[in-house]
Amino acid sequence: MSAPAITPVVVRLKLSLLRNGLRQSGGRRAAYIASAVVALLFAALQLVGLIALRGFDHVESLVVLLVAVLGLGWAVMPLFFPGGDETLDPTRLVMLPLRPRPLVRALLVASLVGIGPLFTLCLLTGSVIAVAHGGAAFAVGVLAVPLALLVCVALARAVAAANVRLLTSRKGRDLAVLSGLVVAVGAQVVNFGAQRLGSSGLEQLDPVADVLRWFPPASAIGAVHSVGEGAYGTAAAQLLLTAAASAGLLALWARALTRLMTAPDGSTLQTGGAAVRDRASTGLARLLPPGRTGTAVERSLRYVWRDPKTKAAWVTSLAIGLIVPVFNAWQGTGSVYFACFAAGMLGIQMYNQFGQDTSAFWMVAMTISSTRDAYVELRARALALLLVTLPYATLVTVLTTAMLGDWPRLPEALGLSFALLGAMLATGAWTSARFPYSIPQEGYKNVAPGQTGLAWISIFGGMVAAAVLCAPVIALAIWLNAGAGGDDLLWLLLPVGTLYGAALTLLGLRLAAPRTARRLPEILTAVSKG
Amino acid sequence: MVDADGDVVGAGATGTAAVRVRGLWKRFGQQVAVAGIDLELPAGRFIGLVGPNGAGKTTTLSMVTGLLRPDQGTVEVVGRDVWRDPAEVKARIGVLPEGLRLFERLSGRELLAYLGRLRGLPGAEVDKRATQLLDVLDLAGAQHKLVVDYSTGMRKKIGLAAALLHNPEVLFLDEPFEGVDPVSAQTIRGVLERYTASGATVVFSSHVMELVESLCDWVAVMAAGRIRAHGPLAEVRGEAPSLQRAFLELVGAHGRDAGSDLDWLGGGSR
Repeated sequence: MSAPAITPVVVRLKLSLLRNGLRQSGGRRAAYIASAVVALLFAALQLVGLIALRGFDHVESLVVLLVAVLGLGWAVMPLFFPGGDETLDPTRLVMLPLRPRPLVRALLVASLVGIGPLFTLCLLTGSVIAVAHGGAAFAVGVLAVPLALLVCVALARAVAAANVRLLTSRKGRDLAVLSGLVVAVGAQVVNFGAQRLGSSGLEQLDPVADVLRWFPPASAIGAVHSVGEGAYGTAAAQLLLTAAASAGLLALWARALTRLMTAPDGSTLQTGGAAVRDRASTGLARLLPPGRTGTAVERSLRYVWRDPKTKAAWVTSLAIGLIVPVFNAWQGTGSVYFACFAAGMLGIQMYNQFGQDTSAFWMVAMTISSTRDAYVELRARALALLLVTLPYATLVTVLTTAMLGDWPRLPEALGLSFALLGAMLATGAWTSARFPYSIPQEGYKNVAPGQTGLAWISIFGGMVAAAVLCAPVIALAIWLNAGAGGDDLLWLLLPVGTLYGAALTLLGLRLAAPRTARRLPEILTAVSKG
Repeated sequence: MVDADGDVVGAGATGTAAVRVRGLWKRFGQQVAVAGIDLELPAGRFIGLVGPNGAGKTTTLSMVTGLLRPDQGTVEVVGRDVWRDPAEVKARIGVLPEGLRLFERLSGRELLAYLGRLRGLPGAEVDKRATQLLDVLDLAGAQHKLVVDYSTGMRKKIGLAAALLHNPEVLFLDEPFEGVDPVSAQTIRGVLERYTASGATVVFSSHVMELVESLCDWVAVMAAGRIRAHGPLAEVRGEAPSLQRAFLELVGAHGRDAGSDLDWLGGGSR
């Protein structure tokens, strides 16, 4: 087959598949038409809106951000709808004798056909109209719109092609568990962004837009704006960047496609023996104490990195623990005390320790034959958590304080954080022994059916208990803040909070250990349901 | 042959019992999984616990190894009560359960290193034993691969290595050959035979009679939560041509031959 002939074939294939799909059932046709109408209506509204925005101050920032978000949307779309477009699934073409280059060209043109690209085209056109000033800017816009569209489509295709292989492997399924996280953290960011935008004007976007207009596809719109400002050099650079990005993405896609069509599919492939190196005798392991403590700490830390469920939980905690205090401080609405969020979010990881082991807990259970063993096991898990949490909570607290410039309150905030962390570790250890529940390893759910109540008791009961346990330190903080001469003594909260937290942790571990040792079979049964 | 009450008649000649079970019961809601088992397993034997699916083999082994709390009854392993003296018992037994996970995000070698150290063995000794076990079990090439990427046979083998690491006196294996390819099965078999030859006891469950017959010198037959027969293989087999036949007679399934119900099936008129 010659190179130019294949493109119309693939486009016609896409159109007829689309048509035949609609012919299949009335419901499907209605759904498709409805979604098309809504999308086009939305696109038209956006186009009108953008045109109306023309001439406003700082509109270019909003537009650049909009296009950047659009690009992000194209990038993540294939991850959430992997089977979205079967016409573009290259594995269906594996048996045909096609060369990668014409195939890429054909698939690219085919993927430009559809509502998504049309929607993007409307938005991009509107963006150009909104920011372009002068004939030169519009001329650049004519070039910028197709370039940006190309970046979007190529981005989606490259991500999809890279994932076809990934999603069939174990690593891909691991990633799928993590993708929920992207939404959770993304929602937090968007939430804060919208709040900020609502409270102050569009100029708030300027710093973000200053960065984003160097990122394709937003850089294409940045170029249009730069020309309008007379910054021709900047415009040329931005345009070049966009072109380079689309070329790079196309090359990546072509490479992924070639690999897909020539290599066996990931599910039948043996994973290489060198995938994970033996790290038993490196770095951290040597610093850890011997015996159960070091061994259990090492295993816990390995799981934070290697187990998708544990990793997702940790990343969520780390992200939210950082986002809430820092974003609030950034918006100027924050307080140093918000920094306790980091300690609190990470403290949650101490809850349901044995549930995190899944039924592999039997291996631990077989080695615990006394209260002492149980104590050392729980202490090791708390230690593993502290190894990450202590520096992290300190960092977040210092960062928040720095952003607010409220240095006198730093010792106080740190003391409260450590007291809270101690209380969370204590209640976490105790509820791990008292209310264990299964964490299913597949899918997004974190509680096995029938154990939701148990999980609620464990987490929320534990958190309320932790708050109550912290009350003395909180009371001390309030008293010192309220008292006239208390300011000089506020630093006392750091040692007091730290010691109090440490004492609580030790007490919690001591109380949890005998219960754990006594209830090993019951815990195993409870965590084996997933 | 031994009667259905489970009286100890044919216990091995070696004398001491590796496992002694008295009046063991377990119910899950309405369902009785184990209905009063009395059993004495002789030490130094290759013992098979056979029975159809759902006979209560896994429940029994879980209770014997301390992974599941019985409703009633006592279990002694090497003369020590499993529930009152867990320290002594856990140090002397090795377990390969069925249907429970391993720490699958560790590599094979890391798993052994982890478990050996949890059991309190010195690090250098753990590493030495792990290397040898991985070699013997044909896992040396996959030792740095995560267990989650192992095949069923490899999982059983790494589980066996984990169970053997602390040189236990009694080894409990729940369906060790289930889903295992012939090559791996032969490897597992070789290791187990070498292990029992040194005087240790292996107790394993299976529903494959031919396997039990070729491996074990002592069997206990389970059905519907009870021990139907136990003793040296030859005694339990009795007059029957194979353990399979003897087993079918014991559980009362011998009358259920594909009799005349399907007489239309096969050659002749359509």
